[in-house]
Amino acid sequence: MRKDKNYHLSDPTWCQGCGIYGIFSALKKAAVALNLDPEQSVVVTGIGCHGRLNNYFRSYGFHALHGRALPVASGVKLSNPRLSVVGISGDGDAYSIGLGHFIHSIRRNINITYIVVDNRIYALTQGQTSPTSHTGFVSVSTPYGSKELNLNGPRLALASGGTFVARGFSGDPSQLATLIEKGMKHEGFALIEVLSPCVIHNKVNTYQWFRKNIYNLDEDSSYNPRNKMYAWEKLSRGKKIPVGLIYVEKRPSYEDLVFGRGAEPLVFNDLRVDVPRLEKIMEKFK
Amino acid sequence: MTKKGTMITDISVMIAGQAGDGVLFTGNVLAKILKRQGWEISTYRDFPSNIRGEPTNYTIRASLEKIYGRGDEIDVFLAFDCEAIIKHAKSMAEGGILLCDGEDLVQLPPSRRKVRIYHKFPLRKLARDNFGKEIFKNMIALGALGYILDLDFHVIEQIISEAFLKRKGVEIVQKNIRAIHLGCEQAKEIVVPEERRSLVRRKDSDRLFLSGDEAIAFGALAAGCRFFAAYPICPATEIWQWLAVYLPQFNGLVVQTEDELAALNMALGASYAGARAMTSTSGPGASLMMESFSLSGMAEIPIVVAHVQRVGPSTGIPTKTEQGDLNQWVYGSHGDFPRIVLSPGTVEECFEFTTKAFNLAEKYQCPVILLTEEDYGLNFRSVKKFDLSKVKIERGKLLTQEELISVKNFKRYELTSDGISPRALPGMKNGLHMVESSEHDEKGYRDEEPENRIRMMQKRMKKLKSASKDMIPPKIWGERNAEIGIIGFGSTFGPIQEAITQLKEKGIRARYLQMRTLWPFPSKKVEEFVTTCKEIFVVENNFSGQLSSLIKSQVRLPFEVMNILKYSSHAFRPHEISTQIQKAL
Repeated sequence: MRKDKNYHLSDPTWCQGCGIYGIFSALKKAAVALNLDPEQSVVVTGIGCHGRLNNYFRSYGFHALHGRALPVASGVKLSNPRLSVVGISGDGDAYSIGLGHFIHSIRRNINITYIVVDNRIYALTQGQTSPTSHTGFVSVSTPYGSKELNLNGPRLALASGGTFVARGFSGDPSQLATLIEKGMKHEGFALIEVLSPCVIHNKVNTYQWFRKNIYNLDEDSSYNPRNKMYAWEKLSRGKKIPVGLIYVEKRPSYEDLVFGRGAEPLVFNDLRVDVPRLEKIMEKFK
Repeated sequence: MTKKGTMITDISVMIAGQAGDGVLFTGNVLAKILKRQGWEISTYRDFPSNIRGEPTNYTIRASLEKIYGRGDEIDVFLAFDCEAIIKHAKSMAEGGILLCDGEDLVQLPPSRRKVRIYHKFPLRKLARDNFGKEIFKNMIALGALGYILDLDFHVIEQIISEAFLKRKGVEIVQKNIRAIHLGCEQAKEIVVPEERRSLVRRKDSDRLFLSGDEAIAFGALAAGCRFFAAYPICPATEIWQWLAVYLPQFNGLVVQTEDELAALNMALGASYAGARAMTSTSGPGASLMMESFSLSGMAEIPIVVAHVQRVGPSTGIPTKTEQGDLNQWVYGSHGDFPRIVLSPGTVEECFEFTTKAFNLAEKYQCPVILLTEEDYGLNFRSVKKFDLSKVKIERGKLLTQEELISVKNFKRYELTSDGISPRALPGMKNGLHMVESSEHDEKGYRDEEPENRIRMMQKRMKKLKSASKDMIPPKIWGERNAEIGIIGFGSTFGPIQEAITQLKEKGIRARYLQMRTLWPFPSKKVEEFVTTCKEIFVVENNFSGQLSSLIKSQVRLPFEVMNILKYSSHAFRPHEISTQIQKAL
């Protein structure tokens, strides 16, 4: 069995108190629980503070362009479905510049676990309003307050046909670890949005604020995450923010549909030029 | 039309109508018939970017010699309406034959009075009266052309059967064949025997009939491409549509992505995981791909991008041809990084260069662009069967698991003498590493120190320094030691070759340097060519002379080069090049 240290490449240098520490430890915890082989795992990150995670988490890593973590992760997974593929993005990466990929990756249901670190601000670029910042949010980019409605990622995922929609809180790494573990076991696209305070730039959505404004669906035994209408209602009603497993359903993954379950990954194809077979195809051009 | 004695050796037939008329289908059938009768074929489609309505035309040029583009004039013109005549009569040869299904009498300009016109070849009426449907006009037209060109009706029936039997059944095949014979009989009543353009029949040697897009797709399959991601765009989608059928049969995958950003990034993800991966695009799609073009350079991920140029800027003219995107790939994206830009000039080269592109991409761990054009991307040519024995799969410094196990402290971006580092794939033991879009150290981890930055920039930029032996060199054609030099890339190949022949007839000797790799720029070879000429003409299908500017930036020129430019959205006709050269001398 592998331990925490098997996934710990180096000590992070994120700002002290940043929510992402909770995500880092939860990811390692989930990896331990799944006994993930670092050499069979790929973590694809986007641009933002979260993007440093590859420097600290031990696995194969790909630090993609801003907003493009999902298409890269999709290409990796589809070429070699035997790899465990985790995508990580911030709220800007996932919900703004990469939003097209977010919706379509969910629709495809490729077996990727996607963690969206939602600090409700552009932190790396020094504190601009993000798509999840609430209306009226004052920042260097919206000094007179944001006039836009904030985006609800899990609800968008649900509307896009998401088969695993969860939300965690970086202040509760053990629940988050469980959600990541479940997400990685889920055979399809798993979204885990993580509410994660930025202690430097976001003075509104602090640990305290989140604690006051969230409630835990996992503790509600009457809640059935297999019912889409319940999930929709939870994500739409009231001011409080639900965390926990919001929705899950079984639907064949994209790769199972195109290759069949357990098929030999295409990266292991014998590429030698099959002359007789190609000659036959060439005949069709006559 | 050219003749040797009384024998026709080169002829162009145009079929024109409105989009949705079946012009393309009829034209393709005619082209296939002529190909089977042993003629060399080059087609030229001119169609709007919509499904129905608006004029469209299709030229089938047949020659007993190998041809690589459209000729100068139309010899036989079949028009489904009068609008087509008004537009294209000016391109007709003296004494050309014209059949039209129009109601109105069309007055031709005085200079074209010698064109024979046969009004009211009532294709639609004949179709309605005899078959109950106007669509049969296409086959009636084909029958008429069959009579004029003295085609082998046995071959026509064979091709019609191939086209319809599986899809529509034997009854439809017979109905179409009846329509063809009706067209032939009707033509006999209008066209007198002396006016026919009888074409010889030869044996169809082992040749193919396909487009550049198809040749790229087939080349990719042969070269071991197993992952293809793309977004629909004219005129590159044909590459994808062909692969969409065949890649899955080879355990490969074709993904339709949400946009071109996803297409290139997904292909890069697949390549990083070990697949031979590719995408295809055009104009605006290529602009979106510029973002991750530099990622493949920075992260050193092999990738092949086929760019079939259309008319820009902006949405431009999506279904027409231009060479306006050379700058985009030679200079495009942010920052400096190594890239290879190949420029096939023929359908044969589309296949050959594609098979080489995958090897170059893996050997040099950089993006390789196949820059082609709508002209020979969508149009069909008869070509010799491709030689599959020449296709080699070379994966460069990609380590096997056995090799990787014995490596101590694997560094994905290890500094080596040639700048190319060993490559491991995710899933391999002992190969853990990071692929960084940011500046990184040898292990792939972010490193912004100036010393590291300089080291890594030099490492990446060094890769192509010693690559000239692997690059596809320019090729010289035409008259040996001629003092008139012509330089071009891509689709100008055919027109330039023919222009040289036309110039020779006028006593002007010229030779032609065909650029086959645009980047890294083959400075030495171009300089050798330029300095042994007295005049240089650079022929390009764009406004600003992009190749000409590139040459000027890379080669010390002893004199000013002259540009011959065309940006009408159409490919050059040979005489447009030869007359401009004549005038300039």
